[in-house]
Parts: sequence; C-alpha cells; structure tokens
Amino acid sequence: MSASHIPNLNTLRRGGGRGRFRSRGGGQPGDAGHGSHGAKDRVVQGTDNDASVSRLSAVNLGYLDDVFAPALTPPGMEVRRLPIINRGTYVRTTTIDHLVTRFLSAHPSYPKKQIISLGAGTDTRIFRLLSSPTYDASNLVYHEIDFSVNTSAKIKLIRAAPLIQRVLSSSSGDVEISPTNDALHSPSYHLHPLDLRSLPTSPVLPGLDPTLPTLLLSECCLVYLTPGEASSVVRHFTETIFPATTPVGLVLYEPIRPDDAFGRTMVANLATRGIQLQTLQEYASLEAQRRRLRELGLDRGQAAADVDFIWDRWVNEREKERVAGLEMLDEMEEWRLLARHYCVAWGWRDTPGGVFEGWREMEGQEE
Amino acid sequence: MIVDITSRPDNQSKPRGSDYQHIRNLDALIDQLSNCITLSEDDIERLCDQAREVVQDESNVQPVSSPVTVCGDIHGQYHDLIELFRISGPCPDTNYLFMGDYVDRGYHSVESVSLLVALKVRYPKRITILRGNHESRQITQVYGFYDECLRKYGNARVWTLFTDLFDYLPLTALIDNRIFCLHGGLSPSIDTLDHVRKVDRVHEPPHEGPMCDLLWSDPDDRYGWGISPRGAGYTFGKDISDAFNHNNGLSLIARAHQMVMDGYLWSHDRNVVTVFSAPNYCYRCGNLAAILEVDEKLNYQFIQFDPSPRTGEPTMHRRTPDYFL
Repeated sequence: MSASHIPNLNTLRRGGGRGRFRSRGGGQPGDAGHGSHGAKDRVVQGTDNDASVSRLSAVNLGYLDDVFAPALTPPGMEVRRLPIINRGTYVRTTTIDHLVTRFLSAHPSYPKKQIISLGAGTDTRIFRLLSSPTYDASNLVYHEIDFSVNTSAKIKLIRAAPLIQRVLSSSSGDVEISPTNDALHSPSYHLHPLDLRSLPTSPVLPGLDPTLPTLLLSECCLVYLTPGEASSVVRHFTETIFPATTPVGLVLYEPIRPDDAFGRTMVANLATRGIQLQTLQEYASLEAQRRRLRELGLDRGQAAADVDFIWDRWVNEREKERVAGLEMLDEMEEWRLLARHYCVAWGWRDTPGGVFEGWREMEGQEE
Repeated sequence: MIVDITSRPDNQSKPRGSDYQHIRNLDALIDQLSNCITLSEDDIERLCDQAREVVQDESNVQPVSSPVTVCGDIHGQYHDLIELFRISGPCPDTNYLFMGDYVDRGYHSVESVSLLVALKVRYPKRITILRGNHESRQITQVYGFYDECLRKYGNARVWTLFTDLFDYLPLTALIDNRIFCLHGGLSPSIDTLDHVRKVDRVHEPPHEGPMCDLLWSDPDDRYGWGISPRGAGYTFGKDISDAFNHNNGLSLIARAHQMVMDGYLWSHDRNVVTVFSAPNYCYRCGNLAAILEVDEKLNYQFIQFDPSPRTGEPTMHRRTPDYFL
C-alpha cells in the first residue's frame, strides 16, 4: 500500500458518528500575558503561539467550529497536533464556552454584560460571539488585555483579515485603532495593550463600565504571575474598580497537581523553555482553587473540575462519539494523565437569583 | 558482538564466503545504529528484505524458549532502548522478546526500529519482534513515524519499506508453552491458540476482527467483554482471561500497549501482566519503565528503570512536548 492509498483515519472507528453534530463551541483561546520587560516576559508572550496553533489544529480536524482560527494563527505555524492535545483543546474551549454562554444568556432583561479576558492573545471568542446568529452582541462589552507586543500582533492579523473586519464593523460599529497600532476600541470590543502587573497603577481602561455584570476570564494567564500579582489583578477589578454591588464571576483555566510524577515532569519540561508556572504550587488542587476563589471575595459559589472529569461528565454521549470519531485516540492512559493536570475553576459574587446563578448547575468535581 | 553463524536461517543455501560478508555487513550496520546513526535508504531496503525472509516463516504464535527478557513499548525512545540492553545484557548474550510499538511518539523511531530489525536479521533465534498496533501505515501517519522518515530521508520510501515489513511480523509468541505474549490482548473471536495460528496476518491491521483485537485490546476490571475507549479492540475481564489461560494451558498473558506508571502492572489476579518499556513516555508522563526477565524455570522478575541520561544529545532532540498554555 502506498501513501496515496491510505484510508482516512476518520473512517477507521467503529460506530462512525462523525460530522453529524456540530460542536457547541468554536475557537480557542490565546494566552499569555503581560508587559514587555525581559526574557521571561517574551517567553510568556510566546505561549500564545502554542494556544493558537493548537486551536487551528483542533479546528482543521473538526473538533471545533471556528472560522476565525486560520486568520488569527500566525502564518506558517500550522501544525497538526496529537489527538490528546486536540481533545484537550476541545474540552478547554467548549467548557469555557459553556460558562460564557450561561452568563450571557442569563437574565436577558439585564441590558448589558461585560467580559474581560486577561492575557487574551489571539483568542477568537469575541469574534465568534459577535458573529453568533443566536446572541445579540450589541449587549456585550468585551475587553481583552495583553502585552502590547501581543495586541499589536493581533491588530496586524485583524488588519489582514477582511472576514474579521466585516464582523467587527457590522456588529460593533466604528472601530478605532490607536496611532501606536496596539490598542483597538469599538462599542463592543476593546483591545488594551497593558502589562497586567501594572494594572493597579494604570488609568481605568477605556470603555470599561464598572456597573455591568462582569465575567473575568484567565485562560492560562494568571498562572504566569506570582500569587500576589495574580490576586492583585483580580482584586483591582473586584475591589478597586467595581462597586461591591457589581456581579462578578471569574473563570480560571490552568494546570494543577504539580507534585506527582507527571506534574513534576511538566514543571521541569516547561522550565527548559523558560516557562514558570508561578501560582501552580499555591493552587495545586481543585480545593485550593475553590479556596482561592472564596478568598477573592467570590462568595456566592465556587467550583472546579479537571479536564478529565469534564470530558467524562459534561460532554454528552453523542458528542463524545462525534469527537472520538475524528481521530483514533490511542493514548488513553496519557490522555487521562494530561487531562487530570488541567482544571477549570469558576466562582462568583452576585445577588440571589442573579446572572451567575446558572453556574450553580455546572457540575463541579469533589476532590 | 559474538558471531553466531549457527543461528542463521537457510545458511546452507549460501556459500560460506557470502555468509561471512553478510554477517560483517550486518555487524557494521548494528555498530552504526548503536551510535544512533541512521542507515542509508539502500541499507534499509536490504535489511527489510532480509528481515521479511526471516519473519514471514514465523508462526502467528511464535514459539520462544526461556530464558528470555520480555519488553513492552519502545516508541522511538532510542536512548532508553540502549539503556534497556545495558540493563538486561546485549543481544545475543540475552534473549529478547519485544511486544511491539517500536515506532511513533519518540524522536528516534527510525533508529530504534532499524536496530531491532537489524538484530532480528543478525540473531533470528535470539530476538523475537512482535507487531504492535503502531506497526501500521494508518497509525504511523498520525503519531510521528511517517513524519520522522520524511524529515530524516526527505521522502517516504523508508516508511514504505518498514511498514511493508510490519505486515509480516508475528502477532504473538509463546514462551515454553506457558506464557502467551502479545501487544494488546484477547479477542472475542479467539478462544484458542490454534485460532490465533489460523489468522491471516500479512496485511495492514483491519479496524475490527481478531487481528485488530490482538493488537488493541486491554484488560479491564469489569467482567466479560467491553467496548474499548480506544475505538478499536475490546476490554476483557478476569473471567475471560481465566477461561483463556485455562483452556490453553497457560500460566500467564504478558502484554504491553498501556502506559503504566511503575512500568509493569498485574491484573486479573495475575492472569495478565502489562509491561511498558518506555520510561517518561513521550518525555512527558513521568513513568518508570520495566522489563520482565523470565528464567529457565519460568520464574520471573521485573526490572524497572528510569529514563537514560542523555548526555551530549543535541538540544533539538529534546524539544519539550506540548502542553496547554
């Protein structure tokens, strides 16, 4: 059999079941985060490439539906990731999509809601929301904060992508880009060039409305800061900028369990790339993540689950069959190991029956 | 290496001079591979031709005599394979049985499988190499061997040569009629070793049926047969391995296929043992590796080992594995 006669792996699996059900989510997040001083920062800024390449891989293989992924992946970086990475990218993205959707669809009577994505990198979520046929994005104010080098790179990619420009201008009205080409402002979407560590001493972000119910999102971002810096970023919003009456939710996606063999290897491997996961020891378990959320004043609810649990419990059988049919995932043991070392944690403050109450129904994991 | 002319197959059919040259050539290739230097395409072609002649006559249930060292997945972790030979002794001083998955995932699939195939040709009675589920055209295109061949040779010819050879590898082995060795596990289509012997194996593994199951199945805590989360093969419970071992006069099923943190793992009240020989699998899992040494009396002991230190290895070979960042 020559290479040209090789059957598509997609047809391999028993049960088939591919392609009939669309993924509930799309795209996938960027990461990283802050300022531009020093080699360590550049390493963190570079982690966004990992995320965007993984996102495009998952999109190309049908895990996620995201028409914006190709435009927001730096040219020449297209790589097919391994099946376990694709599945992990799928779970990460769809899980956060679920939490975002619950928040946005709660209390339609609330006039507007706000999302602040920390270290957003080349994340496509805002464009997916703006172009969603089911969601009225005129009720949304979406902020992304990242290092200036990352925001200018994103603006450059946006400028080269007519598809994104059309979405921005048709749903979001006038779009202004700063003369320094690293900030973007429109009624629904703001891109702020800012080192998160300088947030406490920076002027209030343009377009930020401290009275709107707000979801703070950290996809592998705060983990690169020290525990003190990471808390200061959250408290800057929850305590300094927002009045205590503003409902606030925080969604964290980050690694956990650094102290077993896999975790130690992960820490050592990332260290060879110069990547330090500075809050990992402090928030090493699901319980530590819930405690963290509580201590940040998100006192109405806190929950957390690892990616293995979420794949198991949140993804319905039909969707599991669809996703499992996309690629032969041989490495079950490795998948479980990897998936148990990443978690999603969510916590909120709100009045009873408020906009975040839908999160109570999202199943967390006891530890 | 010790020259072992007596173990060459069909050595009567070749003049002695050519035989001698043949062995010198093989020893040179093995030396080259022992230094992690890839062979030329032409050498690989000759080697695969010779290996096919050796393994095509082997049984689906290839008889193996103790003492022998039984090894699980290697997955291109060449330096750890060399460490394995250091620990259990060089071939042919020690007899070896490898239970498949030589390629994919690690950075040195080409060197690892070349070395094992060269040893097989050189010492056909001293080393047995079974087929794993990764010895497949389909799987190697997803998990790295195909890409590695393209990267190292600039074309897919070496990949074609090896995957054509993989079709001939035996599926299982039987140590002293007591220990049944295979990559994956049992199949609902197979009750006896004679059923295995009758399987037509010389083709790309299908995605269902007995041949597929032997390469893909896993033991499970639940009784009976279950659907495998891998999407191929089955899971089988203790009742299944009890019956299979009893009906076939076996004391043990040794298999590989699953990464286990200690390198080996008993299941089904010691009906089945998993052996995994790639330490820190994919440079990410943090697991120990193990091999199973079986002596003449069929006593066995497991030897666990850590990743080999990679002194002097170029950093390009140590690209960190992917994480979610």
